[in-house]
Amino acid sequence: MKKLLFASLIVASITQAYELNTQMQEYMNTLKSEAKKQNPNFKEFSYERGEKIFTSEHIGKKGKLISCVTCHTNDLSAKGINKHTAKVIDPLSPSANSERFSDVKNVKKWLRRNFKDVYKRAGSAQEKGDVVTYIIHKK
Amino acid sequence: MRSLMLIALLVGSSLVADSSFWGEKRGVAPVNNEAYSVECGSCHFAYQPGLLPERSWVKLMQNLENHFDTDASLEPEDKKKILDYLVKNSAEKFTQYKRSRKINKSISRGETPIAISQTPYFIKEHREIRRDLITQKEVNSISNCTACHTTAHKGIYGERDINIPNYGRWDDD
Repeated sequence: MKKLLFASLIVASITQAYELNTQMQEYMNTLKSEAKKQNPNFKEFSYERGEKIFTSEHIGKKGKLISCVTCHTNDLSAKGINKHTAKVIDPLSPSANSERFSDVKNVKKWLRRNFKDVYKRAGSAQEKGDVVTYIIHKK
Repeated sequence: MRSLMLIALLVGSSLVADSSFWGEKRGVAPVNNEAYSVECGSCHFAYQPGLLPERSWVKLMQNLENHFDTDASLEPEDKKKILDYLVKNSAEKFTQYKRSRKINKSISRGETPIAISQTPYFIKEHREIRRDLITQKEVNSISNCTACHTTAHKGIYGERDINIPNYGRWDDD
């Protein structure tokens, strides 16, 4: 029994969701209540929807096909590169870069800018929550 | 008289050692503002404020939502902080720096370029560079100062510090 408990503890720690800090948890909760208001059928943020938001291509602000992957790459633990300026972008995954998704002001800024750059519009509360869920959990 | 000459000589040599002559300094003043380095430098090289005149920075900062076809919008308090820094350190405030003086002088009064690469002095200085050296992946665009100017972060853009990828040193002569 003890062994089983131990084994399940290990499994739990491996599969455990990435733990956001308090201010980020509060931000995610705010997004959640906004999403519920806008869509009565909304239940939870979705990794799958977030993945689609992150990886699908759209005609962006520059008038060319672009996705989040264009600059951040598909390996969120690796460095990306800004395709317009050639500037290196630090890894997006908080598991590789602990500064990511720790500061709400910064997260809001980049969600605002990057939705405009890729989608030419602001992201909805649901979309923002979905894409954050995808990024922080992607292995 | 002799001692006066000696003093003049000493002062003169110290100016030369400081890489300035009669008060003129090379390049532009380096960036010394944390907010600017962080906010602007996260997407591109943090161009020194002395590379454009005040009116250019004011115009550029008025439209960060459409910043060279990307959204670079800032919270109002951050925008104000950065604009203050840019205005206080713009090209015409640093006429003792050679590049600031030359860039500023090259722009006609009626013009307000928001790209350093569109100032006449910049264009003149880069006119001989082959296009393929600029578009190659190591450089990407003419806006990527650090790709070739190895001391750009210090505000030094002199010829002897140029190293163009897949080409090497640049010699104007």
